[in-house]
Amino acid sequence: MESPSKILIIDDEEVVLDSCTLILEGEGCTMATATNGVLGLKQVEEFHPDLVFVDLKMPGMSGMEVIQHVHAYDPSIVSIVITGYATLSSAVEAMQKGAYDFVPKPFTPEEFRLVTRRGVERRKLVLEAAALRREREVLRENFAAIVSHELKSPLAATQQNLFLLTAELSAVLTEDQKTRLDRLKSRIDDLLKMIQTWLRAFTVDIQKIKEGFRPTSVPSVITKAIESVQPFAQRKDIEIVTAIGAPLSSVSGDEGTLVEALVNVVGNAVKYSFAGSQVLVSARHQDGHVMISVSDSGAGIPREELPFIFGDFYRGRTGQAEEAGAGLGLAITRRILEAHGGTISAESTPGKGSTFVMTLPALRMDEETRPAQEASLQRTTQVGGAT
Amino acid sequence: MNHRAKLLIIDDDPDFVDGIKSILESADYQVDVAYNPKDGFDTLKTRPYDLLLLDIMMGRGAEGVMLARKLRKDPQLREMPVLIITGIREQIAFLFPGQPVHPHLLPVDELVEKPVEPQFLLDRVSSLLQAAEKRKTASR
Repeated sequence: MESPSKILIIDDEEVVLDSCTLILEGEGCTMATATNGVLGLKQVEEFHPDLVFVDLKMPGMSGMEVIQHVHAYDPSIVSIVITGYATLSSAVEAMQKGAYDFVPKPFTPEEFRLVTRRGVERRKLVLEAAALRREREVLRENFAAIVSHELKSPLAATQQNLFLLTAELSAVLTEDQKTRLDRLKSRIDDLLKMIQTWLRAFTVDIQKIKEGFRPTSVPSVITKAIESVQPFAQRKDIEIVTAIGAPLSSVSGDEGTLVEALVNVVGNAVKYSFAGSQVLVSARHQDGHVMISVSDSGAGIPREELPFIFGDFYRGRTGQAEEAGAGLGLAITRRILEAHGGTISAESTPGKGSTFVMTLPALRMDEETRPAQEASLQRTTQVGGAT
Repeated sequence: MNHRAKLLIIDDDPDFVDGIKSILESADYQVDVAYNPKDGFDTLKTRPYDLLLLDIMMGRGAEGVMLARKLRKDPQLREMPVLIITGIREQIAFLFPGQPVHPHLLPVDELVEKPVEPQFLLDRVSSLLQAAEKRKTASR
């Protein structure tokens, strides 16, 4: 059951107040009136109207001022101007200041009812839109908490008990049974990781990492990323080769997320490579940027799919069925690079392989040396610096 | 340690509790459990414990955090080591960007993520107990 709309009329002419009240009788609204701007604003605070009619020409506070105050107090309150023909231009001005509509004087009851209904409708839409926006924000904010608790908790409890069972049964289990337990654990581990990835993509405000930016050595990022992908590469018999052009300037960034970004790209290169092939990771300085490129000679990406690979939930179709993933890696990578003021792009020839190129703005020498006291430890590998 | 250390687990997930309780008992710890923060706090007030294993997401939200804050203010309980076991490392990490995954909820705490490898859990527990023991001897 909807509550009746509340309508406030502010006009210095009692006759207008009375006739408006009379017109709207039977429309299912609750009415309030005020004879000047100051009293009107007091009513706005006490009566909480949905709709306010304001006469533009009143002694004391002008209608224009009233509208501005109402709009500042609560922009979702719909205000409508009542005006004589002579002040049509000021009605336009009022609408520019936040009024939704105007009723020229004199008006017929039908005209007034029509404007009222339109105003009430408008108020409903404004409130609905605000509620939806709020809901969306709350959903987004709570998503992490809900997902981690509701999805991760049962998985964590299951995994915990598998850990326990493995330990408790270690003396009696056959090798086959142990392998089966290990597979169970690794499947649950995959699920936990996937949930984590989704959380990262949808709830974490990646821009926040900017607060912790510091001079970061690119070779160190590359080394850490490769270390993390290495076991996977070895299993697939793929060699990761690096070529780092010295000297290479540092970048301003967050090492953890940069490593994550590169792990995604190098991991993909390994994932879509053929056994026995090479993945080349190279870095060099170019036009004030550090460019990192990752090339493989794997399956490649069909031309028509290239525009979509950095979007959410893209997964390479050319990949073998065993290559599981959430399809978010490159989307996250793109966001991380963009937060660093960088870019990522890809070129590919199906059947021959793909090259991903990431760019990051290089730090100038003077920028590098200012916070150098802290950063110098990490940068001992760089001798020359930027040229 | 010359006595069997007494541990309390506060966690609202009975299955998860089972999974870590047995691991701790197999290492000869004496383990009690409370399944909500209120019972947990009452239990801590009635009996001394050497270590608390605390879940974060309980009840209607991060009630574990509220309990941790309460413990920090309590003169009798603030010295007790607390091992936080949580599934929400990600969010905590992003509440404290740039810092290791550590909410600094208590002066003497440590955080591990659910699920936790048995040996890793036992290592953390024993190192926290040893550190607390050292502090006690030092202040004597």
